[in-house]
Amino acid sequence: MNAQSPACLLITGASSGLGREMALRFSADHRLILAGRDEARLQAARLACHAPERHLVWRHDLADVEGIAGQLGAFLAAESVQVESLIHCAARLDVLPLRSLEPERVQATFRTNVLAALELVRTLTKKRINQQRLRAVVFVSSIASQFGAKGFSAYGASKAALDALMKALAVELAPVVRVNSVLPGALRTAMTASMFDDPQLAERLVADYPLGIGAPADVVDAVEFLLSDKARWITGQQLVVDGGRSSNITA
Amino acid sequence: MDTSFPNPLDLAGRHCLVTGAASGIGRATAELFAALGARVSLVDCNEASLRALAEALPNGPHACHVHDLADVDGIDDLVRDIVAGLGPLHSVVHAAGIQSVLPAKDLKPEVWRRILAVNTEAALALARNMARKRICQGGGAVVFISSVMALAGSAGAVAYAMSKSALHGLARSLALELAPQGTRVNCIAPGFVRTPMLERLERDWDASQREAVEALHPLGFGEPQDIAQAAAFLVAATGRWITGSVLVVDGGYLAK
Repeated sequence: MNAQSPACLLITGASSGLGREMALRFSADHRLILAGRDEARLQAARLACHAPERHLVWRHDLADVEGIAGQLGAFLAAESVQVESLIHCAARLDVLPLRSLEPERVQATFRTNVLAALELVRTLTKKRINQQRLRAVVFVSSIASQFGAKGFSAYGASKAALDALMKALAVELAPVVRVNSVLPGALRTAMTASMFDDPQLAERLVADYPLGIGAPADVVDAVEFLLSDKARWITGQQLVVDGGRSSNITA
Repeated sequence: MDTSFPNPLDLAGRHCLVTGAASGIGRATAELFAALGARVSLVDCNEASLRALAEALPNGPHACHVHDLADVDGIDDLVRDIVAGLGPLHSVVHAAGIQSVLPAKDLKPEVWRRILAVNTEAALALARNMARKRICQGGGAVVFISSVMALAGSAGAVAYAMSKSALHGLARSLALELAPQGTRVNCIAPGFVRTPMLERLERDWDASQREAVEALHPLGFGEPQDIAQAAAFLVAATGRWITGSVLVVDGGYLAK
């Protein structure tokens, strides 16, 4: 492998929801590595992309943090590709009251949402594995990293940890790699489907958002901006994309 | 397969008002917006630079309005003239700003009042016009250029920091007021950007002080274009679900 190997955009959580939306959008301008747990759903997402034959699929359950370095390294070597940009979109959301938050569930949330992000960046900044090709990273955080909500203890803590990780990485890896977060409000995706299935909760959610509930495409534009050269002086930042929800104290 | 997409930042047909347009961030914003197809109404107190810029801008038509924004009472008339000239507004970028680095004990009321007038009160006077149907027909965008000084402290910057923090509060509440008509209000908080304002500050620094300030930014000093790109992102359709937000563009200054 050498520095001329094709440069890819790695998207975690690419088989559904926001990650899949990003894969579809970015497939026109980037060579993608779609990462996720389910091979069939990943292949389906790849086939829905522009020029499907150009893109790769890396099946890995990110809850297996210890396996990331070895398996991603082997994958990149086998495919003779390197990663220039990373979007960590994979996330686990269990809306659970405190009494039901067993340590294993909290740990599972942190493994996928935070520790995997750290291990991915650590792996992709290893010269031996990625030839110092990594330039831009975007973590998909959440406004839940900034505010409280019933049942969101583990998820909110994991996203706050992700944002703190983002800032530390931004400083440590500057000026070579830029690292930022986007903080979406509630989107209609598979992950949030159960919230919108509850009519009362759904009605309240809609009323709390001055610009209404968001669509995944609203967030994809923000991620695209942060990855691009237009954002070449932006690093260590949390970009809130939430239709005004977090400005609204009357909610 | 057709992979040619329309430019998501396209501003064709949009009428945008940019203050502080004669130099620095305002100028870069006017240049980028014009390049993206917008008709730009340029506001500044420096008439000669403003006219020269208007002639150099692509597309058009564009318009120049010489106004000292410390004259807050005159802003309603200014906006009326701007709309009479190029039609209803789609967006306002308030990039005009002034700063005096002075210890608080030496700060005279007339100095801090002028800073507050240009940086903050003018922003409110401009942006509240966007609630009027004949000024903005809805679906508009407002961007206030604030500063990292709104989010972190700096000795000698008390008046400037006060004026810029107030923009964040203004933007959040105005965002809620204007959301029903689909008009969005956001701030951009830049770090130290190579502008005439920075050049004036640099005159009081020796080489080691200059180096120390730049070292506060993991990516070094920024360029006006870095802020203009962020403004275009927020104003164009790419920012359609973003309101009440602060987009920090600071080369990592605040992450440290």
